[in-house]
Amino acid sequence: MMDIAISMGLIGVMLSMLGMGLLIAYYGSSKTRNVGIVFLLAGIGLAYYLVEMDTSDVSFLNGMLAFVGGMVGGIIGIVVFLVAIIKS
Amino acid sequence: MDMSTEIGNGAIMDYFVSMLLIGIGVALLATGLFTSYFGAGKSQKIGFALFFLGIVTIAYFIVFYPLEEDIFIDALVSGVAALSGMIIGMVLILFVLMKVDTVDDLEDLDLEDLEDLDLDEELKKLEEELNQADEGDGAKEEEE
Repeated sequence: MMDIAISMGLIGVMLSMLGMGLLIAYYGSSKTRNVGIVFLLAGIGLAYYLVEMDTSDVSFLNGMLAFVGGMVGGIIGIVVFLVAIIKS
Repeated sequence: MDMSTEIGNGAIMDYFVSMLLIGIGVALLATGLFTSYFGAGKSQKIGFALFFLGIVTIAYFIVFYPLEEDIFIDALVSGVAALSGMIIGMVLILFVLMKVDTVDDLEDLDLEDLEDLDLDEELKKLEEELNQADEGDGAKEEEE
């Protein structure tokens, strides 16, 4: 279980680094752009570690299915709440 | 890490649908609790309904959903760990961005130009430009 928590936690950090790094590198000012590029490189480094060096037998696909399922479920729940409030 | 992209038998039902149901249930419970506590009148009733719906969703999952406990714990740990990782990453990025000096240097700004600027004169120029633009629009409308 610790393997799953660590590997999936690293995947979450990697997704943040890649997504936010890309945004900051593209839209940032001259100073923040460099920080964005550093985050992008950190995200790529994490991705390399997870794909090539991580020796745990955690299934990436199953973990991502669970993560995406939870996120989509949360969004659907909030949409139901908003529809109920707006329609009332 | 096993990067295999082959979806095993029942993997979608075991991992995706179980976490989807849990996500819907938790979101409905949280929003229902919030609305029933802070809402008034009709909103409060909707809050109770949402809260009840959330309890029903989770109860359905616990009672009727055919899932082994180990698989569900794996799915739950995966989802929560990935979400926590994303939050940690975001906090890290915000922390670094706040620490980095992101404002352009004020030394580059020529303050002497600002001191020499006559604001009244600039305001008059702007008013004149606006008046000319209004007169131009009025003349066009009369021609039409």
